[in-house]
Amino acid sequence: MTDIAVAPSAEAHDDHAGHRTSLGISNMKLAFWLFLGSECLLFGALISTYLLSKARFITEVVAGNPTVVGTMPNGTLMAEFAEEQSVGPMFDIPFTSLSSFVLLMSSLAMVLAHSAVVKGDYRASRIWLATTALLGSLFIGGQVYEFTAFYREGLTFSNNLFGSAFFTLTGFHGVHVTGGILMLVSLLFLSLRGKLNSDRAETVELVGLYWHFVDVVWVLIFTIVYLIP
Amino acid sequence: MADTHVAASVEADTHDVPHQGAGAHDAHAHGPTERQYWLVFVVLVAFTALEVAWSFFGLEGPVLVLPLVVMMVIKFLLVAGVFMHLYFDMNMINGKLFAVAFGSALALAAVVYMMVVATFGFRISGAF
Repeated sequence: MTDIAVAPSAEAHDDHAGHRTSLGISNMKLAFWLFLGSECLLFGALISTYLLSKARFITEVVAGNPTVVGTMPNGTLMAEFAEEQSVGPMFDIPFTSLSSFVLLMSSLAMVLAHSAVVKGDYRASRIWLATTALLGSLFIGGQVYEFTAFYREGLTFSNNLFGSAFFTLTGFHGVHVTGGILMLVSLLFLSLRGKLNSDRAETVELVGLYWHFVDVVWVLIFTIVYLIP
Repeated sequence: MADTHVAASVEADTHDVPHQGAGAHDAHAHGPTERQYWLVFVVLVAFTALEVAWSFFGLEGPVLVLPLVVMMVIKFLLVAGVFMHLYFDMNMINGKLFAVAFGSALALAAVVYMMVVATFGFRISGAF
């Protein structure tokens, strides 16, 4: 009789405790990893497209084909522009390195936020969540500044193949960062209303997984797009 | 009557103690410490600085690209392994199985993407 009386309570605990499964991780976490797997495919395709477009762009610049390479808004051929400045020197590496540092710092803030929630230190978790969102916003601000600078120098989304591939790849990443900031702000509001306690630490962990994924993608983009000529 | 009291007592205990999700519990039990997080962050920043410095040395070809790719992979593994808890999740039930499954899929995807890039790259340069 005692067993019967206790059983429903234990079951409720299991349901409440993040759906403990025989696989060792909760169903929610497993589903989130599958989602991140699909995101890997998306960014894999975007990075491949960028590499191919860049290769074709360089080939056409060398061949001097203005119809494929494109024309600058002021009428000069992109090939001439590319010869003068090349694609590499357009990038402001010190500035982008600073952006990378900001994103890495935000990843650290995110894991510290999760750690604080697990420990039940909600004040610290709010501070770290706000810091992560702030650093993410700073990164987006930097990207907007960079895009504006490229536009003023004549590199737009539509004037050649390289521009299209570059803005699509980095733009998609920026959209993902923005999505992450919205999630972080939502968590912050939940925490301020007292609805983000140790009970829901897994929610913070899942948002953290998304944020670190965005960081990992930037690690790849920074090297492949900015550092490798 | 006594049974009812036992059930109520257990239920009360269950609700009084803060619950932790499976992931949270695992992270708390097997996850890295805050000190390790800071250490990994410092290593990541150091590798980023090294990458930037390497790109300014004026090197060309594989001498430039290979070290950059190696450093990129190390940074990738550090973020995925420590910040995303993949390394520590391996200690869970079936964790190694998941690590092998995800690791193999990731490696396969990387190889496929590289083959696609290489194939189209050769076509663009007119090699075949």
